[in-house]
Amino acid sequence: MRSKHSTLTWVDKNRIFLLFAVVSIFMSLFAPRFFNVFNLTAIMKTVAMNACVAIGFTIVMICGQLDLSIGTVITFAGVLGLVLKGPLGYAVSVPVAIAAGAAVGLFNGLLVAKAKINSFIVTLGTMTILQGAIYTMTKGNTVSLSTPDAFVVADFLAKPLLPLVTPRILITVALVLVAEVFLRRTRSGRNFFLVGGNRNTAWLAGIKTDAYIIVAFVLSGALAAVGGVFFAMESSAATLKLGDQSLMYVLSATIIGGTAMSGGKGGVFRTVVAILTLEMLYTGIILFGFGNEVKIFIAGLILATVVLYEAYAVYKHEREVGKRPELVKELEAAAAAKTAGSPRR
Amino acid sequence: MKRMVILMVAATLAATYAFAAGGQQTGGTDAKANLEASLKIDTSGLKSADGQQLLKPSTDNRKVPTRPANPDALPETDPLHWYDMEWAGWNANKAAVPKSPMTGAIGKKVVLIVHGDHPWTTACINGAKKVADAYQMKLTVKSPNWDLAVQNQMIDQAINDRPDMILLIPLDAKTAPQQARKINQAGIPLILFNTLPDAAAMDYAIAWTGPDDFGQFRLLARTFADELRRRNPGAKELGVAYVQHAPGGSPYFARCYGPISELASYAPEIKTLDKQAPGFEADKTMQLVSDWLTRFGKDLKGIIAADDSAQTLGIVEALKKAGREDVLVVAAGNSKVGMDLVKDGKLFAITYQTAEGDGALAVQTAADWFNGKEIPMRRNLAQHIITKQDVDQFYPPQW
Repeated sequence: MRSKHSTLTWVDKNRIFLLFAVVSIFMSLFAPRFFNVFNLTAIMKTVAMNACVAIGFTIVMICGQLDLSIGTVITFAGVLGLVLKGPLGYAVSVPVAIAAGAAVGLFNGLLVAKAKINSFIVTLGTMTILQGAIYTMTKGNTVSLSTPDAFVVADFLAKPLLPLVTPRILITVALVLVAEVFLRRTRSGRNFFLVGGNRNTAWLAGIKTDAYIIVAFVLSGALAAVGGVFFAMESSAATLKLGDQSLMYVLSATIIGGTAMSGGKGGVFRTVVAILTLEMLYTGIILFGFGNEVKIFIAGLILATVVLYEAYAVYKHEREVGKRPELVKELEAAAAAKTAGSPRR
Repeated sequence: MKRMVILMVAATLAATYAFAAGGQQTGGTDAKANLEASLKIDTSGLKSADGQQLLKPSTDNRKVPTRPANPDALPETDPLHWYDMEWAGWNANKAAVPKSPMTGAIGKKVVLIVHGDHPWTTACINGAKKVADAYQMKLTVKSPNWDLAVQNQMIDQAINDRPDMILLIPLDAKTAPQQARKINQAGIPLILFNTLPDAAAMDYAIAWTGPDDFGQFRLLARTFADELRRRNPGAKELGVAYVQHAPGGSPYFARCYGPISELASYAPEIKTLDKQAPGFEADKTMQLVSDWLTRFGKDLKGIIAADDSAQTLGIVEALKKAGREDVLVVAAGNSKVGMDLVKDGKLFAITYQTAEGDGALAVQTAADWFNGKEIPMRRNLAQHIITKQDVDQFYPPQW
């Protein structure tokens, strides 16, 4: 029989899958018009961009770092992909946009790993620089394509190959699987966890910690760009606010999915399930007839709750480590024995 | 545990495949009777909160000019430079737009997607509801709170609802063609309203309804020029500055280049000194106008603003601080703030921008389409310039 402690640990460990099951079953049963192919495909399409972005973001967080620039990288890549599409075509503009995202990641990674600047500060700076670059590139206007060939690509990316599965969703699923297998089944992948768990120990074990941190940021930049550029291609448009909502969304999902903010723990698959769960929840809220403001309120509430829980878990863990309960018990027993054996005065 | 989770997910997906179904079209069993009853409904007596007729017929009788071969090649002071915006929709190819079912408007399910929460939007929705109630339509309103991604999701959800019609205020003119195309491809009739989209969007919509911003501002520019001339008789040069709308949307161009291109021929002595978009905060506008007053001094004779509330408050405050009562100010209206300023004489004129009428005209156009009436590609709201002489007629304000 499972003890109470181990049951709680099991629930905590699998909280995202339980949450997914609860939300999906509840919405399917009660939310009006939730449970049909069109709606579920729409949910999957929305998830596709953020899931792509979340892969890199999760790896950065596993390394114990934070990448605040993902939202602007999404917008930057989307805008760049469409701006360059005219003169160069998608065959060139898409790789260039992804490479640009990777370059932003490389810049972040070098400053964090080599210059030892806090990732929060570095990526906040990059975010601001990119915002300026986007406004300069577009003069403040939305970039859009309404040529027939742009619509052909958009239609291809949006048209389901199977129910619920469009090419863009397929690309995202493939990337998630590759990332999950890489992190779990390869030595290099597992090293990201070691770097995030304890950077000094990892370095003493012979792991090139700086290189892993740089690679994590490069992956984060490149995958944010993939998410942004494919989303822009499917919409044939990129607004200057394209990625604005993604940072909070992906951050919430990554934490809810069980990736520790302190690093060393987590997983891409869990983050993606969390994104799917959140999207189902938000869609359900709207389908129940509540306004967008209720959705924003609930999103904030979820994030606050999870961050609070994470902070409590870290506090509890540190307190236990400090106390060494077994050692304390041993010492207490020894003290009690000593007291019992000592002569009375 | 892993197995259980996988089984749970698999079961959910399997059930989705098994039970998933699209929506169903609504349709009356007695379409002819419904049409006859719908055609008998008269909405001409409906009033907006300001006591005006809710659905005033348009007063714009201008003929649509021929499109120049390359409007961009013309100077910005030429009205035809703005042809694709000002006359957007008049040359649309409506081949893919569904035909009217001619089953009557009564009982039809209509989804109205606005741009975001604002007192103007509330008034607009009130107007839409008045007409929808008259036709006993089932009107559902969705507001994405100024977020384009959310608006796109709401469009998906609206398509999922399978309504008889979608009415949409596009949040971004340039992404409107994709939104309109998606709705059109889902086979749902669409009417765009209020914000002018890129011309390509018009191909997928039954019509566009709303304020003719360019037309209104051409009218406002003439009223402005007449007053400026009256105040400065014989002046050979009159300097004017423009406080612009937010970049990107159609009002940004219409409310600045509309008057610039109109005044170039109507009052060539009026010269543009500067044009800036400070946003919709009174303090930023005040700072901008204070800078203009320092920079241009007595050469600044007039200001044309894109908004009659926060922007105009900033303008009035800057002029008051500088002790300049000679600067003529006009703006797009008609909020309570703007009307009060007109009444006080601090603002010379505002445009009549009926928010309720805007929503009402979109729903009326939908009803007309269900009733089989011929719909023009564009339906403009009635145009009028409010001054101190008639401002009292427009109280209480709609928002």
